[in-house]
Amino acid sequence: MPNASFSSVEPARRRFLRSAGTAVAASLVLAACGDDNTPTPVPTVLSLGSGDMGLLSYFLRLKQVQAAFYEKVTTAPPASLPAAELDLLKEILLHKQIQRDYLANLLSQNSQNGLLTGVEISFSSLSLTTRAEVLEAARKFEDLGVAAMNGAGKYFSSTTFLAVASRLASVEARHATAVRDLIQPSSFAASDVVDAEGLGVSSTPTAVVTELNKYVSPLPFSAASLPNS
Amino acid sequence: MNLFKIIADLEKVDPEMTARLTHRRSALTLLGDLSKKFALAAAPIAIGSAFNKAMGQNTLSAVNDVLNFALTLEYLEEDFYAQALAAPTLAANLTTGSAARNAIQTIKNHETAHVTLLKGALGTAAVARPASFNFGTAFATYASFLTFAQAFEDTGVRAYKGQAGTLKTAGNPNNVLQTALQIHSVEARHAAHVRYMRRAVDPLAASQYGWVTNAEANGAPAAVYNAGNPATTFPAESNFTQAALDLRTQLGTTYTAAEVSEAFDEALDNTTVLAIARSAATF
Repeated sequence: MPNASFSSVEPARRRFLRSAGTAVAASLVLAACGDDNTPTPVPTVLSLGSGDMGLLSYFLRLKQVQAAFYEKVTTAPPASLPAAELDLLKEILLHKQIQRDYLANLLSQNSQNGLLTGVEISFSSLSLTTRAEVLEAARKFEDLGVAAMNGAGKYFSSTTFLAVASRLASVEARHATAVRDLIQPSSFAASDVVDAEGLGVSSTPTAVVTELNKYVSPLPFSAASLPNS
Repeated sequence: MNLFKIIADLEKVDPEMTARLTHRRSALTLLGDLSKKFALAAAPIAIGSAFNKAMGQNTLSAVNDVLNFALTLEYLEEDFYAQALAAPTLAANLTTGSAARNAIQTIKNHETAHVTLLKGALGTAAVARPASFNFGTAFATYASFLTFAQAFEDTGVRAYKGQAGTLKTAGNPNNVLQTALQIHSVEARHAAHVRYMRRAVDPLAASQYGWVTNAEANGAPAAVYNAGNPATTFPAESNFTQAALDLRTQLGTTYTAAEVSEAFDEALDNTTVLAIARSAATF
């Protein structure tokens, strides 16, 4: 089964993952030391958390899935994908990795779960064997990201973190155009992504997480604690 | 106006200036020389940039002021594309039914929609549309038109980003922050597409992508990509640090400055944005 987990990440990133893992591992040990008489519920979801940290975590998981997607399709690209287009997807991959690693770092700095391990990502449900299939999947991930950021930015209480999110949001829209220009140049701001008022479409965290969860195991992400008003 | 600061900023644009610069009159004379180094389309904005950086800052706090700032930019963009679509000099490139014309028409329609939306939100508080916008030589060639378009769109992205925090601090009445972020994403879609259109026809832009690499203007005005004021809040697009973290070397994987700069867009203060607009157009 094709699996775009992080088993293929380069050594430097592995070291980072290990160091990022210690804080969370420690918290797991503490959690395991609870009162034996109170059975610890087996988690059925990976909560993204609440407040600004929850929103950053939400964006981290989005970037993690996107990066895994581009890792997969650039590692084993379809033969029909021209070299120039492969190079473009590799550029986008780098941006996703940087954004993902930055958000992971930011969360870890704030004593949050910025851990990339523990989340298995697979795109086995997608057929990615032709140029058209790869670009269409990329378009969906980019448009999803733009809609996610359009819909969640207002929930930040800190203007510092709002600024972080908005720095990422416009790059997401640039990616969406880059991919759409490869598929159909006139579609860069078509009516499926820009409404009649000239507004970019937005999605709720719940809707976005439902989409992400198609590719995530063993625990699905949960947006239940994220701000929603 | 702090002339020493202006001159210092000019030196950033033209590193050789120090050797030639002795007093204010020299600086003003040199502005003429400087303009010749840029493409015809880019020169007016490039000159403006030196002054913008000296004077710029974020001065808006009330929601209506932010919306009127945005409305002014949308008036400008709408008029710019309307003039382009009607310009005889561009007719051969923007032929009826062509992908290029359709793209510009789509962008123009969005700018019109943004004007309508912002005017509706502001009601009687809406700033009046300027009597006219004079874009000088912008429409002389297809390449110069696209250079201006790239400058306006990339500036627009930075402008909306620069006001997000202001709208939040003002309490986000009527969910205006969400609207601004939605417009922001549309400006970014426009910007990326215009960058590709320009890449296809302008040798200066032959290697650019839909995203901004370092602060490379590729023939567009440098001010569009340079730092605003204060630079700590509004760094240049070449920025590779976030909250004191050097993202090239401190993320566990080594990335280049160019790669990091591409992964983040940067905000710009309203004073610098308006000064860029006023150096590209008379209104």
